[in-house]
Amino acid sequence: MLKKICLYNGVKKDFLNLHKISDYLRTKIGKIKIEIRDDFINYCISKIPSEKEKVKIAENLSIKIAQCRIINPNKRKIERTPHQLEINLEKKYILNWSQKPVGNFYDGFDLILIFSNIIPQEEISLDFCHIIFTNQLFGTWDEKDLRYHARVAIFGFPTIISTTGLVEAPAKPREFYIKKQMGIDPLVLKEEFRGKFIDYEDPRTTEVMKGYVIQALFFHLFGDPFCSDKNCRLYNAHWQEEVINAQLKSEYEFCSKHEKILTKIKSQF
Amino acid sequence: MSNKKIFSLVGEKEVTKAIVGEFAKQFTEYVESDCIIIGGGPSGLMAGRELAKKGYKVLIIERNNYLGGGFWIGGYLMNKITIREPAQEILKELGVPCEEISKGLYVADGPHACSKLIASTCDAGVKFVTMTSFDDIILKEKNKVSGVVINWTPVQALPREITCVDPIGLESKIVIDATGHDAFVARKLEERGLMKTQGFGAMWVDRSEDLIIEYTGEVHPGLIVIGMAVSTIFGLPRMGPTFGAMLLSGKKGAEIAEKNLSI
Repeated sequence: MLKKICLYNGVKKDFLNLHKISDYLRTKIGKIKIEIRDDFINYCISKIPSEKEKVKIAENLSIKIAQCRIINPNKRKIERTPHQLEINLEKKYILNWSQKPVGNFYDGFDLILIFSNIIPQEEISLDFCHIIFTNQLFGTWDEKDLRYHARVAIFGFPTIISTTGLVEAPAKPREFYIKKQMGIDPLVLKEEFRGKFIDYEDPRTTEVMKGYVIQALFFHLFGDPFCSDKNCRLYNAHWQEEVINAQLKSEYEFCSKHEKILTKIKSQF
Repeated sequence: MSNKKIFSLVGEKEVTKAIVGEFAKQFTEYVESDCIIIGGGPSGLMAGRELAKKGYKVLIIERNNYLGGGFWIGGYLMNKITIREPAQEILKELGVPCEEISKGLYVADGPHACSKLIASTCDAGVKFVTMTSFDDIILKEKNKVSGVVINWTPVQALPREITCVDPIGLESKIVIDATGHDAFVARKLEERGLMKTQGFGAMWVDRSEDLIIEYTGEVHPGLIVIGMAVSTIFGLPRMGPTFGAMLLSGKKGAEIAEKNLSI
């Protein structure tokens, strides 16, 4: 029985307001406790009583996270020994991911595995739904076309949601890529296509992320986060246009089936 | 018609003597330096300039007969270079006019920017050996990089069967790899099993510049890596034709070198 939803803020920028997301969740799910926490790793390490153990875990994490980096998105990640400088950089940001420069690409499932191992012992239970917001980009390997694909969210225990993924993972309009191939500066293109995709530090981010959090909740409760209705917030959007439609423009928030499930959740908890 | 000559009367042998004598004098002086930089592109020039300004003895090795690398040309053979904020401050410091064409994006004339950077590096006191290729590294106690082995660039272009020109070694306290995507110096360490390079990733202009600066550093005792070589070593995303990271990475590399030299 779900007792608490924990939202972790690894972004800490005004464009992502977890309080607004939390308020929204309350209107949808009723009395389930929602707690907004600091950056996930920071929070988990702060719960370790021994200082010596904290240092040890931070060191270990920095190695494991460095190992998660995908160097070539067209090749399945292989086991590699990261350079000490890479490990040092991961260590530098281990307690403050929000300060970490964006640009690395990580294997999302590996990240979830690493994160699941540091969740405080008393919260390793389906009573808790852990949702991590990060600005780091991650992806998953696709056996069909043998390459990694960037993702906005990867659902699991915990779920990870990326603000960078929201910009980079769903495809922008086709014309954007054609013009980019023609050598037009991306900054110029961003101006031309403004509004047609979610950009970095986009003021619409919070509103869009509300839908992804509900997807995470559905995954946690039922194992299925998605809906086939393009106008439902649970739609698994692959294009920016679809994201904007499902999360911002649609005449209704949820299809009738999922609306009913949400009402049931609200009455049960 | 007047018999008066415009130029002074100097014979061929005096000209040759002047070239050989002065080159040999400088070369002898620089067989040992504080820092040898391999690669005379924007990051290498910037690192050299910063170190020389602090009074360090710096030698830049360049395989071509010209300095500046790709900094003369922006991309696709068009000689406008782009710089993203905050690197335009360096252009201003060099006295290169630049124009902000969109928020945070500046454009300057490649020849103007490149020539000013070269001139400023020369003014700072950096010395150069051109048409000279990096051949190998010198490793001393505990495998510390302690210098480089070089040879004339044309030697590499000739078939081995007809050339037998041994290279020579130069010593230095620090070596900086500024050889671009080739990362020649780091790859020599890799050949010996002392480090592993990853090869650069896919292009992500928005983000790659920040990471280049972030990962600029000492990758092996005595070896600092700057510029696009950083991308190759750590598998970072490729950059587009923007040069801000090259300049700032060079600057950061110089700061790290200075720290090491002052120990």
